[in-house]
Amino acid sequence: MTSPPETRTRRSRRGERTLMYVIAVLAAFYSFWPILIMALEGYNIDLGAFFAVLAGKSSCSIGGLTFACSFHPTPAFYLQALGVDAYPRLVANTLMISGLSVAIGFGAGIPVAYALSRIEIRGKDFVSYMLLAVRTVSQFVVLIPLYIAYTLLGLFNTIPGMAIAEQLLVLPVIVWMMRGFFSDIPRDIYDAASVFGKSEWQVFRRVMLPMVIPGIVLVTLFSVVLIWNDFLIADTLTSNATRTVDVGVWEGLSITSLSITASTWNSLNAAGTLAYVPAIALMLAIRRYLARGFSLGMTE
Amino acid sequence: MRLRTVYLLFLPLFIILGIVVVYPLMMSLYLSLTTTSGQVSASNYATLLSSATFLDALNVSLLYSLTSTIIALGIGLGLAFIVTQGLRGKGVFEALYVLPVAVAPIVVGVLFSPSSVWDDIVQFLHFQLGQPYPVINELSPTFFFPVMFLSEAWEWAPLLMLVALSIINSTPKEIYEAADLSGASSYQQFRMISLPTIFRSSVMQFVVVLRFIDAMRAFEIPFAWSNWLGYTSQIGSPVDTISLYLYKLLFSSSLGFPIGVVSAAALALFGVTLVGAAVLLRILRSGGRGM
Repeated sequence: MTSPPETRTRRSRRGERTLMYVIAVLAAFYSFWPILIMALEGYNIDLGAFFAVLAGKSSCSIGGLTFACSFHPTPAFYLQALGVDAYPRLVANTLMISGLSVAIGFGAGIPVAYALSRIEIRGKDFVSYMLLAVRTVSQFVVLIPLYIAYTLLGLFNTIPGMAIAEQLLVLPVIVWMMRGFFSDIPRDIYDAASVFGKSEWQVFRRVMLPMVIPGIVLVTLFSVVLIWNDFLIADTLTSNATRTVDVGVWEGLSITSLSITASTWNSLNAAGTLAYVPAIALMLAIRRYLARGFSLGMTE
Repeated sequence: MRLRTVYLLFLPLFIILGIVVVYPLMMSLYLSLTTTSGQVSASNYATLLSSATFLDALNVSLLYSLTSTIIALGIGLGLAFIVTQGLRGKGVFEALYVLPVAVAPIVVGVLFSPSSVWDDIVQFLHFQLGQPYPVINELSPTFFFPVMFLSEAWEWAPLLMLVALSIINSTPKEIYEAADLSGASSYQQFRMISLPTIFRSSVMQFVVVLRFIDAMRAFEIPFAWSNWLGYTSQIGSPVDTISLYLYKLLFSSSLGFPIGVVSAAALALFGVTLVGAAVLLRILRSGGRGM
């Protein structure tokens, strides 16, 4: 008893699904392709050159420059970037800055997040607004005075100095996200703990804090990515000794379009790949909470 | 909690904010209002307003952030549509779509440089498909502006996708079931149920305005492009956004490191972004209980 119209609908539905899969794969390609290209260029795998060699041509053109092309994949550029004085040192710097920065951020942020989620006080909006202002303020309004103060106080190009400056990025995120995690704890648990005659501090320390430890881990990872991906603050307030990964990737090569040779281009791509791999790994680990982090805790 | 305890809880935050916000604001204001010889005057602001490069940079910034925000919103909604189609391997697709957001902006500047992605496409078309060798003129604004906007949008579209998905997921399922029963296609469901919900959501409005504000301060991608176009630290390149203009001005020895003018310009940018924040707050309030 199958009626023709129904069959047609079913068939067109199947066609629709196939089309959806094609679109989904194309979109994945669009998201992933530029990232993949960079990793390949690091191995000196230039697809443009590959196509040329495949077609039996010997001259390639990259960005308007014509040169003899060849196709020789090599891990040399990664090995060079991974040399003791390059990538590992930059990573160590970045992680030390992140560690101290997150510690300061939590020290200042958790009490406020807790207070904002638990009590009704006037001026609550003011604090929220201040933190939003931190996000809207031009980096240069902050960087010049900090640079002046840092050079006077000897904080320029030091890890504590960077850790304080990075509060610009992490503090609003820490307060807003932790406030959300504290608010998620049912009011009953808080009330029950208070009934047993514990002090406010004991309730916080013994009951509330353990409940937000997963949140603390999440926010820490998110903050590390923010600091890892920051370029401008690190570029302005550091020099050789405390250079971070992103600045190192760019400055270490100090290239311009006119001076790109095939080998510095490959080095840049190898270093760039090494710079994004850890960030992507961390982001994927906390994927469910990304929207919450980037929207300052606005989304669920 | 006693009031004194509350103050104590807020103290560390206020100290940090004092160091990284209040002091810099005061200092910038002071620097912007004094000349190099220490006299109080508004000459820095006058210099700024009569400077064509500053006004050009302001234009570029506005164009850059408006365009890239709109493109990112479009792509983000498109990706959200794909993810909500109940495809097999949905989780894998979603994970792949999220990737760009984790890549540092400076690396994005390298990813989309003339010699990477575009070059491969050109070579492929030429050598494999036998097309005439297309000459991409990377120095032409019709090439580099769209590519810059696209790379900014490429990086941040996943964020808008994630926000859209969280809004769709919190919409009652019954609505979609009812639409399914009345024979609405998945596209119709997305257009008539999801889209209006997303646009009416105060969270989405907040995130979009936040994206606009962040793009107004964009530095890394234009910075990389200034290099690709051969301008390096030269002031007045066509891709100078306000942030890039300030950066170049700050480190320009030929102009004697004019921190007064830079401070004035940074405050001007802050003023523009504060107006943005005010708009944002208004949207939040009119949008209801978004906080």
